[in-house]
This record gives sequence, C-alpha cells and structure tokens, in this order.
Amino acid sequence: MSRPVRVYVVDNGGQWTHRIWRVVREIGCATKIIPNTTPVSEIDADALVLSGGAPRVAWESPKLGNCIEYLDHFNGPILGECLGMQLMAIHFGGSAGPAEIPEYGLSKMKVIEEDDLFKGLPKEFSVWESHNDEVKQAPNFAVLSMSENCKVQAIKHLKKPFYGIQFHPEVNNTEHGEDILRNFVSTVKL
Amino acid sequence: MFDTNRFIEEKVKELQDRIKGKTIIGASGGVDSTASAVLLSRVIGSNLLCVLVDTGYMRKNEVEKNQQVLRKLGLNVLVIDAKERFCQRLKGVIDPEQKRKIIGEEFIRVFEEVARKENAKHFVQGTIAPDWIESGGGLRDKIKSHHNVGGLPEKVEFEIVEPLRDLYKDEVRMVGKALGLPVELYERQPFPGPGLAVRILGEATADNARVVREACAIVEEEIERAVAAGEMSKPWQYFAVLLPCKAVGVHGDVRVYGRVVVVRAVESIDGMSAAYSKIPHKVLEQISIRITNILKDDVTRVVFDITNKPPGTIEYE
Repeated sequence: MSRPVRVYVVDNGGQWTHRIWRVVREIGCATKIIPNTTPVSEIDADALVLSGGAPRVAWESPKLGNCIEYLDHFNGPILGECLGMQLMAIHFGGSAGPAEIPEYGLSKMKVIEEDDLFKGLPKEFSVWESHNDEVKQAPNFAVLSMSENCKVQAIKHLKKPFYGIQFHPEVNNTEHGEDILRNFVSTVKL
Repeated sequence: MFDTNRFIEEKVKELQDRIKGKTIIGASGGVDSTASAVLLSRVIGSNLLCVLVDTGYMRKNEVEKNQQVLRKLGLNVLVIDAKERFCQRLKGVIDPEQKRKIIGEEFIRVFEEVARKENAKHFVQGTIAPDWIESGGGLRDKIKSHHNVGGLPEKVEFEIVEPLRDLYKDEVRMVGKALGLPVELYERQPFPGPGLAVRILGEATADNARVVREACAIVEEEIERAVAAGEMSKPWQYFAVLLPCKAVGVHGDVRVYGRVVVVRAVESIDGMSAAYSKIPHKVLEQISIRITNILKDDVTRVVFDITNKPPGTIEYE
C-alpha cells in the first residue's frame, strides 16, 4: 500500500487552523500543524496549506514568518487560505488590501473556472467567509471563483501548483468544503 | 475518520502513566467534563472526585439534576455552594473579559481549596479545542477568554490535565457515547463554564441571574416541546440573553418600561462556525408570550437574533 499523502498546515494564527488540520486528517492525509517559522528545509510534507490569521496583509506581513520562503522553495502544491492567498497574490506581483465590503459568515460563491479545486462541484454554492482584506490584483494567476462582494474568491497560479482561496472550506457551514480540500490533495503527485 | 475507541485506549494508557493517587475534576455535568470524568475513572477508579461548583449562574434546577447524573454514572461527587463568593466578586463588573477572568480565577481557587483538603496533585478539566483556540495566544487573536484557559490565573497549585484538549464537540459526543454516557447527556446542548453570568450583558447580579435563568428555561422548554412535536429540528444550541437596556411596553392600559431578552439559537457541529436557526414563527411567538407574561415585571420585549458566526459569536460575551 502506498503511504498517505503528507499535508501540513502552516499556522498563521487563524481561528480555523485546527479545523483545517482536522478536515485534512479526516480525508486520510498524514498531517500536523506547524508554526510559520519552521525552516523550509525541515518540512517533509508533500503539500502545504497556509492558514488564515488575524494579521493584516498590507502592514503586518512580518508576522507571516517563513511563508514567502515556502512560496519560493517548497517543492509541491501549496494552498493559501484567506491571508495565505493574499500573501501569495502579493508575492507574485499582485496586490491585496482592505476590502470595500468585507464578508463575514454566509456568502454565495460562483465558480468561473472549475480547474482542479472545483472539479465535479456545482457552479454556485454557499461558503463561509471571515475576512477584512481581499486580493485586488493577481496577474500571474487565473481567477477561479467570485462572490458578489469579493471578485477574487479563488485563484490558481499559471505555472506553479499554487492555489489560493478567500473562503473557508474547513468550516462545517461551507458546502462542499471537504471536496475542495480533497481536490487540492489530489493534485499531489507522489 | 476520528477513531473513538482508539482515542479512548490511547488516552487511558497515557493517563495511567501520568496520574497516580487522589485526583479532582471540575465537573459541571456537561458532556465535556463528564466524558473526561468517566475516562479518568477508568484509570484511577474511586480515587477520582468530581467537584461540582454551584456558582449561582447555573440554569434552573441544574445543580441537583447534574449531581444525580454524575452519581448515577458511579462517580464520587462533591457539590460546593459558591454562590455568594462568585456574586461578590462580580459586583460592579460589566466588562465581558474581566467577568470571564474573575470567574476563571474563582473556579480555580475553589478547586485549590478542595485539592488541598483531599491532598490531590492533579486537577482535571474538560477543556476542548475551541476553548484554547478562542482564548488566543501567540499569533492567534483572543476572541474570548474561556474561563478554563484564558481565565486561568498565572499561578495554580496543581498540575492541570486536559484529556480532551484536541477534540471538538462532535468528537466529544462520540467519545461520550462510547464511554456509555446516557444519550440525553452526550447530546446535551453546550453551556458555557461562566454560565448565565455571560448571558447577562452588564452586571451579573443575583436578580439579573433570576430573570435570565427563567427566560433560558422557557426557551429550552418551548424549543424542546416543538422538537418533540416534530415542528422543528433540534438546534445545536438555544438560550436567552438579557440585554442591558430597556424598552417601553403597555400592560393593561398602563405604560411599562422593562428589559429586553434575546432569543438565540444556532446550527453548528463544533461551535467554530454557526448559522442562526430558522425557528418557526409559531414557536418564537410562544416563547415571546411566555417570557413577557411570566416575567412581566422584568421583561417587556423579546427579540430574535439572526446573526451567523462569524460575524457574531454564539454566546454574547
């Protein structure tokens, strides 16, 4: 039998970091939560999830530890969630900052492009949100989904196996959340 | 998937190595602490003493009911009447965080007194994941100080043991079921450690506690009646909150000026996110009629909370 996929959750201080860990565990991955200060050389994972967190992306990015290093040197798929996605967009030439209309709780999301993340899912479904900031521009990414008040809900890097999502698939109230995380895990090539 | 039996087996083994001799546990009668207690009793048997603190902020008839449930499970129970000291320490306190910290500290002081008398070196509590997640620390922002984590005083006299620390409520319920707890216990709705004190916005006086206690009982009774009658499904949590403001009303052609009570009910699995419950209007109306009639000298108005989490939290403080 092949070994389980190792997906580690990088903790940026989110309320739902532990939830991500739990869902990733439930879909059969080997997982643990690691501090965002872990050197990339010490990470033996196949894929990473960068959690969200309280820091504001425009002026508190030092609080995101080594996340930039992971984007430059980690060898495998990365899913940036919320703050993690915003950092990803900025690092690859885009921008992020305070949302004109932030979203908290229920939001309806429209899938623009199915790609890997939304494979086999409906074109519109309910997701749970909790963000003050949002991605404004992501030039090296394809935008995969949007909601009424947030035009960039999910992105995929044009060349690398990097994905970003603004909403939270790990919370129970999000529809198809587990499927989205499973779709991400299936991008791992062992 | 979460493997309940494996979890229990591993925990028992771990606790066997860690805990020897007389040990006390803070037992409210809720699912978290009761599951912890039964788990511990498998390790140290009758060396475990359940300490149930009557803070004065428990629900209607709850202290009597809960100690019976614990005794029925074969556990040793000591009930401490601490109503007066909690009420005294909360006098004049309106800040929610200060309230939670005072309650957290007072709980520990009570437990320390018992531990000293019993010569217990370990203190067990039913902390679960949302308690420490929401209490903050490091990068994580503090949403609220849960009395058993963020509300702990800096110095405590014993070693704290939290066997369910990494679990969420739905997993605790599975563990409780596997440990043989009765269904009404492992499916019981959550109730915060600081109790009704955090359902009173403003000063948690004994009189305010009386009002919110009665309102909570009515909400519970009416919703449980409607659930039993098949009019709605059971919410994850359902209760009343007393607001620190007044509104005008009319009673028999006479002006009244009384308090406002909120009905709060949510759907969740683990408390980390929640949607408000879509309770039928008929049920809400019945709740409103009973609260404003039974509590006529205190409450003139009942409102229904339609906020999800986020942006709201489930409880109000």
